[in-house]
Amino acid sequence: MADAPGAGSIYDLGYRHYDGVRLGRRHAIWTLYVHSLRNVFGVGRSFWAKAAAFGILAITLIPAVVQLGIATIAPQDIDIVAPEDYYGIIEPLLAVFCAIVAPELAGRDQRTHTLPLYFSRALLRDDYAFAKFFALVTGMLTLTVVPQLLMFTGNAAATDNAFDYFRDNWQDIPAVLASAILLSGLVSAVGLAIASQTPRRAYSTVGILAAFLLVSAIAGSVFEAAERDTGRVIVLLSPFHLARGTTLWVFGADLDPGSQFARADLPGAAYGLAMVSFTLVMLVLLLRRYRGLAA
Amino acid sequence: MTAADVAIIRTTGLTKRYPRVTALDSLDLQLEPGVIGLVGANGAGKSTLIKILLGLLPPTAGSAEVLGFDIATQGPELRQFVGYMPEHDCLPTDVSATEFVAHMAQISGLPRGAARERTAETLRHVGLFEERYREMRGYSTGMKQRVKLAQALVHDPRLMLLDEPTNGLDPGGREEMLRLIRRIHAEFGMAIILSSHLLTEIERVCDHLVEIEGGRLVRSSPMTALTAPTRVLQIEVDGDRDRFAERLAARGIAVTRSGRNLLVEKEDDAMLDIIRDVVVELDLGLVKLEQSRRRLEELFQPEPDAKDPVRG
Repeated sequence: MADAPGAGSIYDLGYRHYDGVRLGRRHAIWTLYVHSLRNVFGVGRSFWAKAAAFGILAITLIPAVVQLGIATIAPQDIDIVAPEDYYGIIEPLLAVFCAIVAPELAGRDQRTHTLPLYFSRALLRDDYAFAKFFALVTGMLTLTVVPQLLMFTGNAAATDNAFDYFRDNWQDIPAVLASAILLSGLVSAVGLAIASQTPRRAYSTVGILAAFLLVSAIAGSVFEAAERDTGRVIVLLSPFHLARGTTLWVFGADLDPGSQFARADLPGAAYGLAMVSFTLVMLVLLLRRYRGLAA
Repeated sequence: MTAADVAIIRTTGLTKRYPRVTALDSLDLQLEPGVIGLVGANGAGKSTLIKILLGLLPPTAGSAEVLGFDIATQGPELRQFVGYMPEHDCLPTDVSATEFVAHMAQISGLPRGAARERTAETLRHVGLFEERYREMRGYSTGMKQRVKLAQALVHDPRLMLLDEPTNGLDPGGREEMLRLIRRIHAEFGMAIILSSHLLTEIERVCDHLVEIEGGRLVRSSPMTALTAPTRVLQIEVDGDRDRFAERLAARGIAVTRSGRNLLVEKEDDAMLDIIRDVVVELDLGLVKLEQSRRRLEELFQPEPDAKDPVRG
């Protein structure tokens, strides 16, 4: 504190009180949501944070672009990439995106001990957790919905009559939105529940990748090895299996007879129900973590 | 602003128990606006009290009102009007002071435009100039303390809770911080609760003192009552001190020694005349003749004989 206080007093116009509005809790939550959403895409952060986010977003678009290319060349109704299969293709990308972003959202304020400054302001601990959650959900939605919409509009444009295409396929739109919201909610809840447990970024990144990709791989092999009933349970414990099962159900798609989903022979609603329950359990873990953190 | 006679803090039976320790034990406290010093040994419950008042910790029992808001049910409303400067490091490294403080102002409920405007003013008030646009990772301890103070001040709170604000500062920085705190109260009109383990700081800055020990309230009283003038006169003379003492004793004044000083219990003003006369008789130089004030530190030294009259 060595810089001259004399220099400061030249500009010193005296203290002015603030008489304007105070917008309270909702404004605080909204501010934190917007701030976190910017963090999701690396806005206001380093070049690499932006590069990673937008790079992954670009890669998720590749299957859609390929499909569009084929649709333009061969206008017959060739679905290389069907909407209900899209998430299955970009699953690893969703996991990687979450593993990069969630530790940033949930770990940074713990790492720098900034949480007491938030919790001593106009919001509650739960508000803080929800603001982070919805920011990540919004981010994940861009990864899940944007490629689907691109593909839908592109397919429509490639046909002779876009109106006919829309009339025949409009049901895909609510299905896309519903499955994207469920998937984004699940991935965000799992990612933040894990990332909030530790300020250490490396641990949570590995933990999140394991929760999605490793669990998915393990569940797949255990399913092959196990009795049918054990296999069914296993499928319901793997986030990505739940997401795929739910998506197939939402789209009302026919199950490929050889697939694990056909062999598990569960009602489609079971996946949806299990997926929502799984998400809620993760959200509870997230809220509990922030309620329990010493500040 | 609330009327001056309204208590800024009122606690009733406020208790915080952990499985193994009781951090606050049925604390009843009523404080009026001012600069309030919170003292006590480490682990006495100072930080626990501050955190409960902010809603960072839930109390085990009892209740508290801050600025007339109930801490249990009106936390978010209340905290729009409260600023908190924690003891420990709490700043992100990869954003600038300007960005960070403006963000925090919005989390306190200020609209975006107002938050930016007040951030610029507040950083200037705490003495952060060009460096406020730089990432905070390179900041010195002094600069970080200023940012911590700024984020607690930016939303123009009515009450500021400062936990060991001079921690880690060098003597110059300490001085500057205390000057700022005093100014925030005197010119900005904010009530301040300040915890410190340095009594000299409390003595300089505060006008009310709250002492907590083992989670219990030991005392809560105005500083003037604690550092009131005593009846002891301190005398320092140039020349033969022994003869001076003898001559005073001969005229019925009991003298004790304390270093270079002679201490005399003042009974009436006539005594001052006697002392003057003796000085003249012996042709000594009178260097000092003053009525001593009690120092805060004396209060915290165990006195086996004298019962502290303030201690209730």
